[in-house]
Amino acid sequence: MPVVALVTLLVALAPPYEIESVRLRFTHYDQKGVGYQSAAGPAGQPGSEQLTVEQPQAEVVARIGERVTERLWVPIDVITAASPDHSVYGLPVGTQPPDAVTTASRRNTAGTFDTLTTYRWDRATEVSFRAAFHLEEPFESWSYGLGATRSFAEDNTVVGASVNQIVDWFDRFQLDGSRNGRANRSTTNLNVSVTQVLSPFTIAVLSYGGTIQVGTLGNTWSSVLLADGTRGEERLPRQRLRHALALRVAEWLPWNGALKVYYRAYLDDWSAYAHTVEVNLIQRLFRGLHLRAEYRVHRQTAVRFFTTAADPTLTGYRTADSDLAHFVAQTVGGAISWDFELAGRLRDLHLDLGYEHYFRSNDLTVDIATCGFGLLF
Amino acid sequence: MRRLFCFGLVFALASGCVVVPQNRRKRLADSMMRFDDDGLEAHKRQKFYTTREAAAGGDGTPAGGGCACQ
Repeated sequence: MPVVALVTLLVALAPPYEIESVRLRFTHYDQKGVGYQSAAGPAGQPGSEQLTVEQPQAEVVARIGERVTERLWVPIDVITAASPDHSVYGLPVGTQPPDAVTTASRRNTAGTFDTLTTYRWDRATEVSFRAAFHLEEPFESWSYGLGATRSFAEDNTVVGASVNQIVDWFDRFQLDGSRNGRANRSTTNLNVSVTQVLSPFTIAVLSYGGTIQVGTLGNTWSSVLLADGTRGEERLPRQRLRHALALRVAEWLPWNGALKVYYRAYLDDWSAYAHTVEVNLIQRLFRGLHLRAEYRVHRQTAVRFFTTAADPTLTGYRTADSDLAHFVAQTVGGAISWDFELAGRLRDLHLDLGYEHYFRSNDLTVDIATCGFGLLF
Repeated sequence: MRRLFCFGLVFALASGCVVVPQNRRKRLADSMMRFDDDGLEAHKRQKFYTTREAAAGGDGTPAGGGCACQ
């Protein structure tokens, strides 16, 4: 009885909440290509990396009282062929289901429950707390984050900082598909950013992110092609320190459009360096109807221990993962979106459709189709 | 990278000099000018690139974690 009374009292005292927005998004990925880490192919050659991903997402944002905003977000990934099946080693690409060791990898469903609470401290300051839990068949992950932003100079400058901690636990696999205990890793991430109004038509954001990862940094099932034609396990360092510096600029265009340019420089202590440039052009056709065109190019160097024919007698670090290789990746895409302004409680109805084509210089292409639906109150 | 860091430092120091009054920031408030308009679209992009490019992440989003990849 006291518990019921306490709950009743708390409900009565709780500030009123108001749903601000509900968003849904569905994305389909169709990936084709080959990589040396995959054993699903002819002996001595890269194997198939073919897979598809279906990714539904849902998000609800609610305001609680005058100061608190709560975001609940659930993304789900349904992935085919997420890990390698070495029983198909030696067969031509495409004759067998590629890259599948466990039942999880033939059709792996991964889900995350993510919450972000933002508290408006005063007119210029906000603090936020994030907590998330991720689950898939051989893998669990917890993450927490704390952030703050403060605006200065009549909101012309906003300085932000955040720190995130992720802890992963997952099954360790041998190359024949058998499980070999559990592995874990920790990821600690620090970000600082400055957003600055540069003119009545231009705004820019400069950000730095530093990340340190410790533990088992591979997925344990990627293989390395050896010089004698057989395959061995991937061996990676147990620590990685990563730095990224990014600049975003948005410019209003006088014909009712916007140009966004993004540049990012990256380096880490595995000797990977990268430069990324992205350009987005958005054009308003009518009130609420927008077209967006996108181009992105990313160039990265290989990590220092990348190989496509490892010496079997050596015991040092080695990887054949095509994601850790030298390559140039390009993305071309576009989207159309409608925002219908409505009267009454429902303020805006949003719909969008988009398509992107990602292609890489080391034999990987991905077609991405997405559609979004939103209700803004 | 050093040059970029120097540019960033200059940007951060110089940015305090610009103050545009609120009544002249109408264009900046337009939805087309937002960097993070749709969190679900942002997640789609972040997840895609962090699982396929070794040099992804680290710029406002954690690198690695959340999936069994580097």
